[in-house]
Amino acid sequence: MNVWLNRFRTFDWRNTWPKVVAAVPVIIFLLIPVFTQGEIVLNMLILSGIWAVAALGFTLILRTGQFSLGQAAFMAIGGYTSAILSVVLGWPWWVAFLLSGIVSGIVAMGIGAVVLRVGGIYFSIITLSLTEVIRIIAQQWEPVTHGSRGLIANPPPNIDLGPLHINFMANSIPFYYLTLLLVIITGLVFWRVGKTRMGGTFFAMAANQTLAEHEGIHLMKYRVIAFTLAGVFTGFAGAIYANYLTVISPLIFGLWQSIQIMMMSIVGGMSSLVAGPIIGSTVLYVLGIQLAQLPIYGISQLLYGAVVVLVLIFLPKGTGLIDLWPRIWRKIYKEVEDYEIPGEARQED
Amino acid sequence: MAFLELNDVTKLFGKLAAVEDISFKVEQGEVLGIVGPNGSGKTTLINLISGYYKPTRGTISFMGKNISGLRPDKIVKLGLVRTFQSNVLYEKATLIESMLVSSHLQYKKNDFEAFLETKSYKDEHEKVVGNVLQTLQLLDLFNETFRPASVLSHGYQRMLGIALALAANPKVLLLDEPTTGMNYEEAQFVVENIKRINEQGITILLIEHNMKVLLDVATRVIVLSFGCKIADGNPHEMMNKPEVIEAYLGTETV
Repeated sequence: MNVWLNRFRTFDWRNTWPKVVAAVPVIIFLLIPVFTQGEIVLNMLILSGIWAVAALGFTLILRTGQFSLGQAAFMAIGGYTSAILSVVLGWPWWVAFLLSGIVSGIVAMGIGAVVLRVGGIYFSIITLSLTEVIRIIAQQWEPVTHGSRGLIANPPPNIDLGPLHINFMANSIPFYYLTLLLVIITGLVFWRVGKTRMGGTFFAMAANQTLAEHEGIHLMKYRVIAFTLAGVFTGFAGAIYANYLTVISPLIFGLWQSIQIMMMSIVGGMSSLVAGPIIGSTVLYVLGIQLAQLPIYGISQLLYGAVVVLVLIFLPKGTGLIDLWPRIWRKIYKEVEDYEIPGEARQED
Repeated sequence: MAFLELNDVTKLFGKLAAVEDISFKVEQGEVLGIVGPNGSGKTTLINLISGYYKPTRGTISFMGKNISGLRPDKIVKLGLVRTFQSNVLYEKATLIESMLVSSHLQYKKNDFEAFLETKSYKDEHEKVVGNVLQTLQLLDLFNETFRPASVLSHGYQRMLGIALALAANPKVLLLDEPTTGMNYEEAQFVVENIKRINEQGITILLIEHNMKVLLDVATRVIVLSFGCKIADGNPHEMMNKPEVIEAYLGTETV
């Protein structure tokens, strides 16, 4: 459980270091376009970032004890909303973009209010079918979605800010910063949710549903809040994805993508609400791209699966890659293992 | 109008009546004991009042409001809080963390203000932390504040169960065998605390097997047998009633 007591404990390095550690990658990622403007690198980072937002959403829902396999559906809703509004109806791009997250959130709230009544495995199955339902709607609703031909999505218009000309068509740097901004905002919001009172409530619901309910926690309310928050940000991610690829079709967001989002969260480490999914999605996305270049057909999926299985075997119980370094550290410095929670080492009298 | 009132409450599991046509009233401020042999429906009764089960027939009303069939969290918000017969806790969380989660009804600020951590929310949070520490001190858990619940001994875990219920601002506390697995001294400690909690104006409904505990603390006792109420009254008188002795020990054959 994330400690939301930092005001109560006067100073504790365990509460301070995440902020310091989190600042380092943010600064590095902000500076990446200064060092390299290679399209391949930026492309990889943009798409990793988009998947990271989806994986963050998955992990937030997981925090309430629910296992959603429908996150790709919300990416599709976001992507289609943005494409339909900006291209077909000709609305301003930024309005369409903002609405894509809002529409996705509203759909998540509506579906969540119904579907979250059943918990556990039933919820997983229903969200799994939700992915398929959204895909089939996208395929069959010809007049709006153009069926399997898909829709053209255009990048945002150029922005002129005095000396600064932002042209989304010229190179990937504007998209890179847009994605980074989304990842940072999502990360901050979710980190804060996990750290404040709601994080405690989520923990309680996942740890012991019966007890939580008998202490006056309205399970449905908090499940729907988590599902909606995840829906909003996943919708934005889907909109960026569609506009970055300049096309959206029913094939882009299917079952495989939903499962991929889940795997990214698991491999990165579900015990961490923000860092885990981001690490997991970056590692798995880059790995997938690299493996796809191997000459033998099908070998990439095999190796991809092998990596996931290896992580599950050696870093189990939701620890994931986020726990890799602490584990190596513990192996090197045995005495660190003696570090205990304060009070736990005290003898029982 | 009674404080808490049960009217012909029945709960059927299939055709088996776990609780059958039970009616009684609980007055504000009393300690009502519920006794009965194993399987007589005591825990089912608490499960019905707390909303864990819905009654098949009959009504339960609290302060004039019908609460039968309401969701557990709504019933808790009205002020009816239960504990569990087994140690149902957030095992990985430290005591202060689980207590703060359980105290969320003490906050007036909504989740959005908590998310932003506004000044007024922080003040309120500090007040709640104070209350939590007070409750932990009251139940002798203060020294364990930063330990995870799973490392506590059984007795302390029982006390934590009561502490978690107290954190939810109860008007009526439903205690399901708070002294299970305790020795005499530990049970005495629980009894003292139940008295202290009662003195704060919290009505207590106490399920108990341990007669000594019950005679010490209860102002009134209800005896259940096979899901039916067989006696109701002063605890000392109850213990001598032939029906009660029969339910507990069987009849004497001559």
